Amino acid sequence: MNMRTLFAAAGLAICIVSMNVSLADDRSSPIARWDFGKEETTPLNPHGALVRDQPGPRPPEFPDFNASNNSVKFGGRGARFTFADPGDESEFDFKNGDEISLEAWVKVDTIGEGESVYLIGKGRTGDDEKAKDNQNWAMRLRKIGGKVRVNFLFASKRVQGQQPADAHWHRWTSNEGMVDMKRWHNVAVSYRFGDPDSIRGWIDGEVQVGNWDMGGKTTEAPVVDNDAVWIGSSMGGSDGASFRGWIDSVAIYRGMLDDKTVSSRFNRAEPLPESAPPINARPGTVRVTFEERVASHQVWPEYYSKPEVNPSLNPDAPDWFTSQFLFPRLPYRYDAWGIRESWGTPVLMTAVADVTLPAGKNQFMVRARGLSRLWVGDNVVVRTKAIGGSTDGHQPVDPLPVPPVPGMRIVAYGVNEQIGELVLKEITTTRVILETIVGGAAYRAEPGELMVGIKTPTSDMFSLLQPAGVDQSPLPITDEVIVDRIAQIEQALLQFGDRVRQAKASSQDEYWARRHQFAEQWVADHPAPLVPSNDSAGKHPIDRFVYDKISRVDSSTNADRDPIASRNFQDGVLPILQKHCIRCHGDKDEEGGFKVTSRESLVAGGDSGEPAIKPGDPHSSVLLARIGSDDEGERMPPSAKLTDKEIETLTQWVSAGANWPTTIDTEALVIAPLVDDSTFLRRAYLDTVGVAPSETEARQFLDDKRADKRADKRALLIDQLLSDSRWADHWVSYWQDVLAENPNLLKPSLSNTGPFRWFLYETLRDNRPLDRMATELIMMRGSEREGGSAGFGMAADNDAPMATRGIVLASAFLGTQLQCARCHDSPYQSTKQRDLFSIAAMMTRSDVTVPVTSSVSPGFFEKNAGRESLIKVTLKPGEPVTPTWPFASFHKEPIAISDLVQDSSDSRELLAANITAPANERFAMVMVNRLWKRLIGAGFVEPADDWETGLASHPELLQWLASDLMANRYDAKHIVGLIMNSQLYQRQAVGKNLSAEPSQRYFAAPDRRRLTAEQVVDSMIAASGKPLIVDELSFDPEAKRPPKTMISLGSPTRGWMFATLSNERDRPSLAFPRATAVTDVLEAFGWTGSRQNALTDRETEPNVLQPGTIANGVFTSWMTSVSNESELANLAVNAKNEDSLVESIFLRFLSRLPNDSEADEFKAVLDDGFDSRIRSPGEVIPVVDPTPLGRVSWSNHLSEEANRIKIEMERRARDGDPADPRLNPDWRMRFEDVVWSVVNSPEFVWVP
Amino acid sequence: MNRNRSHWSRRDVLATAAGAALLPLTSRGSEIESEAKPFPRAKVEHVISIWLGGGMGQIDTFDPKRKGDPKAKVAGSYYDAIDTAVPGVQVCQHLKKLAPMMDRVTAVRTVNHDVIDEHAAATNRMHTGRVVTGTVVYPSLGSVIANQLGAAQEGAPPYVLIGYPNVTRGPGFLGASSGYLYLTDTGRGPSGLSHPQGITADRQSRRESMLTTMRSFARDRFAGDSKVNDYDAAVEQSLSLSGPDFNRVFNLDDEPSDLRNQYGGEFGQRCLLSRRLIERGVRFIEVSHNLNFLNGTGWDVHNAGIEKQHDLITELDSAMATLMIDLEAKSMLDKTLIVITSEFGRPPEFDGGGGRGHQGSAFSCVLAGGGLNHCGAYGETDEWSKKIVSDPVSVPDFFATIHASMGIDPAKYLYDGDRPVPITDNGIPIAKLFGWGTD
Repeated sequence: MNMRTLFAAAGLAICIVSMNVSLADDRSSPIARWDFGKEETTPLNPHGALVRDQPGPRPPEFPDFNASNNSVKFGGRGARFTFADPGDESEFDFKNGDEISLEAWVKVDTIGEGESVYLIGKGRTGDDEKAKDNQNWAMRLRKIGGKVRVNFLFASKRVQGQQPADAHWHRWTSNEGMVDMKRWHNVAVSYRFGDPDSIRGWIDGEVQVGNWDMGGKTTEAPVVDNDAVWIGSSMGGSDGASFRGWIDSVAIYRGMLDDKTVSSRFNRAEPLPESAPPINARPGTVRVTFEERVASHQVWPEYYSKPEVNPSLNPDAPDWFTSQFLFPRLPYRYDAWGIRESWGTPVLMTAVADVTLPAGKNQFMVRARGLSRLWVGDNVVVRTKAIGGSTDGHQPVDPLPVPPVPGMRIVAYGVNEQIGELVLKEITTTRVILETIVGGAAYRAEPGELMVGIKTPTSDMFSLLQPAGVDQSPLPITDEVIVDRIAQIEQALLQFGDRVRQAKASSQDEYWARRHQFAEQWVADHPAPLVPSNDSAGKHPIDRFVYDKISRVDSSTNADRDPIASRNFQDGVLPILQKHCIRCHGDKDEEGGFKVTSRESLVAGGDSGEPAIKPGDPHSSVLLARIGSDDEGERMPPSAKLTDKEIETLTQWVSAGANWPTTIDTEALVIAPLVDDSTFLRRAYLDTVGVAPSETEARQFLDDKRADKRADKRALLIDQLLSDSRWADHWVSYWQDVLAENPNLLKPSLSNTGPFRWFLYETLRDNRPLDRMATELIMMRGSEREGGSAGFGMAADNDAPMATRGIVLASAFLGTQLQCARCHDSPYQSTKQRDLFSIAAMMTRSDVTVPVTSSVSPGFFEKNAGRESLIKVTLKPGEPVTPTWPFASFHKEPIAISDLVQDSSDSRELLAANITAPANERFAMVMVNRLWKRLIGAGFVEPADDWETGLASHPELLQWLASDLMANRYDAKHIVGLIMNSQLYQRQAVGKNLSAEPSQRYFAAPDRRRLTAEQVVDSMIAASGKPLIVDELSFDPEAKRPPKTMISLGSPTRGWMFATLSNERDRPSLAFPRATAVTDVLEAFGWTGSRQNALTDRETEPNVLQPGTIANGVFTSWMTSVSNESELANLAVNAKNEDSLVESIFLRFLSRLPNDSEADEFKAVLDDGFDSRIRSPGEVIPVVDPTPLGRVSWSNHLSEEANRIKIEMERRARDGDPADPRLNPDWRMRFEDVVWSVVNSPEFVWVP
Repeated sequence: MNRNRSHWSRRDVLATAAGAALLPLTSRGSEIESEAKPFPRAKVEHVISIWLGGGMGQIDTFDPKRKGDPKAKVAGSYYDAIDTAVPGVQVCQHLKKLAPMMDRVTAVRTVNHDVIDEHAAATNRMHTGRVVTGTVVYPSLGSVIANQLGAAQEGAPPYVLIGYPNVTRGPGFLGASSGYLYLTDTGRGPSGLSHPQGITADRQSRRESMLTTMRSFARDRFAGDSKVNDYDAAVEQSLSLSGPDFNRVFNLDDEPSDLRNQYGGEFGQRCLLSRRLIERGVRFIEVSHNLNFLNGTGWDVHNAGIEKQHDLITELDSAMATLMIDLEAKSMLDKTLIVITSEFGRPPEFDGGGGRGHQGSAFSCVLAGGGLNHCGAYGETDEWSKKIVSDPVSVPDFFATIHASMGIDPAKYLYDGDRPVPITDNGIPIAKLFGWGTD
């Protein structure tokens, strides 16, 4: 066979002659014409399911039309445009002798046999006040015998008693009709009323023969009244009379059209015969191109001229080069700022490579989800069908497919497999092109496990097709090879995505460079406080500031104090006052002119002039009376009554004289010692990459005695960790909480957002500056449902989504709580309802009003007579709020904010700039406070998301760090590195800063922190070395539903990638048996997949489920079991002796070596039978893979079989992986018990 | 910063207290308060809440009407109705074991809400009794009761879920301490508190002995750190809860086999386990009845899903009747309130496939036991079980009834931080069930 290159065949050029539409005579000028572009000249009223801005007839198929010509889609069921008749004798009224012509461009979606659907007509609208049979004229489509015919209809005056009853209806229908649906056609009719033979109909410019098939020929006049003109429907919106499809350029003429005119209207280029697309290959690779928004997922785009359809011309989605014909997903799509965007579906994906094929019979296998064809040279060797099928849930569970060759990986669920063959006379190098359509209007753009396999004459197995010129061994399509390949391709795609994203994001670099220059200048003009010069606590600025505060404390004031009374006050009394009183009666706030911050202020009382306490006399102390009162109108605090114990403590304190020792927890002043290397190592890893170091990493750092002598050993490690890409994995979960990322796997409800986790992750991966991250979030760009920052803008089931977004922004970036302001002014903060809705308006880019459902009637929450309501509603529902920045006072000085933005007319961008401008130092301070708190365990300002009440413990240091952030491009890593290099960070974590009041917060030591839920899970995975294998987080792994109802969050490999598994339907078939095992652990440790509100501090109270889930949970049992071929099994098999094995386990799980007693105890457990732990080869019974189970998806989840399968999967998940057969079971179980007890140590869950 | 909060000093309060009655009171809560009537209280100690996921069709169960014809698309009940122990109250023919016991049951036939498009949203409504606001994550009924009353006995968890975990069943702003333990398989204890597959008593004791060494080192390493000590205490507690003592409760084999058979299949066993759990001191148990084995779709009987609906009803009937008899035999029925809820009801009309869509305008939730003044049925719907004719019961009212039966003031406030949140959204208990107030 002689193989030609494709370009040899592509020389044929099609000449498209463009014909001018002649409007020579007056009759060609319509009295009304609607083109459905942007605005109609004649206004139309829309009703029902109309979708505008759909592609209309366009070149190259229709060269006379504009390239952006649009049409309207009519969804049927009464979907229509209506136009009122101007009145009597209007130009839309036709009488005998009048000539009418009607014309339209149509593309039919569906039409039933025998149905007559309206394109345009006057009368018969179903208006109760008009006659039912008042049809003045109408053009319809009518399907008979599979042909869609053009049809003209009018009614004449009904004569009483005339038979049959419909004899006054006059209908003409063409004999022939359209047979190809879903293509654009031109239809027209002309008629002179009173002259039955004048009727003429056209389809696609060709005149049609037809018949008056109802009512017969007539000279009767049509009925005329003032009923409306309807487009797309009739008869009150009856479904049977409603058009389903697309309409463009519908026109009404007074006059007759002639054949020549109509014929000139329809100018359609003929498509080329099917041929391989003209596309170049790049030697040694598979080149993949993407063409978006092709017309349909069911038919190939028809090529009308070769050069224009070269699919590689999509500048927004660059070509991807890969090594074999295996495509587990599309590359991610990014917008012009490098923010994740959805693919415009359907996507025509074309993969091309030159391939060397041996002589003889070659078999080609395509596995694809959608319409595909595989070209080998000029021949289509394999085709697969378009995606389709019902997803109603009632489909059966299909039997597992049988692979074409035993031992092959079976075809993925929802993917078609087809095989074709080609016989070659000699070895040939030829071009192979796979064309496939991914996704569709109702399908997600996920190709499944798309691949091309080849079975050569000498092979008995299909292998992945690979390009010529690559010296690579065959890749047989087995589970092992494909799983491994997919993992490699995923890595390659990730890097490809990085390159594409970063290239696009660089379009904004210049703008941000200017912003950061501006910030630097700002810092130069507004210098930070000077670093204290005393360097006795080290040279690091942080240590100097910290030491400065400690050294200024005059602890001699403690000398004459009763240490026990002092302790009682600090530990007993003060926490009660802090918890319940200071919020409103603190230093910054003095409700009723009253402060609860010193003995003096208590004795002085408030505005009333009455002392709050009389030292020594509890019975005359108003404070005690009010906290003890059962009268809710009088009681303090107004929220909840103090416990009896708390009241007792305060009473005793007043009785004993209400001493307020002015100090000073001397312990808090003691600078803690620096930690050892293994403690530092574990802490530094957890705080940067979110997991503990591997055994090798730990040994390298701990054992390198040479490096030990280097003073900068720790600094070097910090630098290395800050550039580790796992940084993003660690920090993304923090922002998910803070920004209330709350995606749902199916139909959003319960304040769900889009999965903007991907935006956050990629932002962190690229280390975009914090001000840029905030800005790009607020701009809400890219894909709403598939990972852009637009997902932040969604809040399902919510009457004011932008208001809830405003609450999140304010707490995240400004430390300001607007939660209460959603419905009323904040009772505990100074913020007003108008502040929040101003922000909502800025995000909405227009005025907004408070919905009635977001307001409360005054006094709603205060049922108590006698107490003034805490709740004030100052903004009436319905009152418009303009997009105005409400927090001018946050800006240190007024600046011209419009100078900082790219488009000063965009209120959303203005909002972002107002938040992130250097003049708004609050932003920089809130950011550094957040970073500080995550690393040190307590913020300078607490709570970190509500700065209203708390004073800063170290105002100068906070200011200094904020300035440093601003001067360093708002780079979070810069600040984190700075903190980690301080001695403070490297001290023993014995601080109690979080519970201390700001003045007594010294940071002589950092606070103890527990691992986050994600760190628990991720560290366990890292330590055991067992990869996380869980279900794909999607109810629809077949991708047969659009992102609007279902999304896929992929198969998680780290804790942050999980989401709520949302089995509100309680169906086993909708369970995720393996993912649940992980979310059980995550949830026990304070993670929540459902983040309806912003969260800065997770609950850290210990509960019984935390140790329980580590001790007994399914996930830990996977991680601690010595399963077949696992790292733990290999470790045990290869161990030199018990000592080294125990060492490895300690290093892996706890980043330290065992102490002597631990080493002895564990060694003793492993000693018995250690030497005979490995079975002789004859004893080893190979592990048999479990029987594969059927596949479950949304489409079949209601079948009983689907439930049975998932329950079996749950059972298998619980049983875990089979044990490694190389090891003697008795010894293996003891080894597992050792691992279990190490991982269950409380040490594992605490940052050392 | 100047803000208007309470400026009342003690003297002001005393001075104005006398005039308090003159202040305008606009909220409904205030009116209730001003009536100065105590809210009705019963002395229920436990709740077993049966959840019929998918939406139980009231017209085919507890609120039967004239029979319809699914083939001819004539609206109406799918089954015949039968008389019950309460004159004038009928139920569907497949509730034949419950029918003679309806004097200890009240089918509240006039529950209603407006969320019928999405199961998750309706499930949330029927677990929290609240409209989603986006500013507060409301706790589930079980979590509120766990929060207010704690476990009935030392060493037992307050709230157990037999079904899949999801956020609507969670503690919301009340925090993890008011959350549930869950299990999906009655053969095993709750997730996290039952030993993994294959861990024998011997292995467990070896594990715990080594763990003792590890814990002791951790205590030394983090000496004096109260947080680490608290966690260590939780380790101790968890070892004890996952130990044989508590886990015995899951050993259903201890029950007479006759009784196990009467309870029936997996759902019945869940009810039996619920009885054992309340004996052990659990306060609130949610039992999910949506195992999907009988008809795939569970109670969400669109189209052909309705064809096996009677199997679901029969299963519910025998498990529920057995549970009531069993509790009665153990003198526990009066202190145990059994509740049946569902996300919404179903309309009298049939869909294209002969099944039914969703209906929120009127549907039935059921109360049984708990020493209430049962009346078989409460509230009346029209001839299609579509519109409420008399005695509407809002979701908050229904929740308030449950709270009141437990002795919890339904108007009481919980606190989300500083923010007061009434336990129910102005719900008023159904007075008649408490023999309180007359109609």
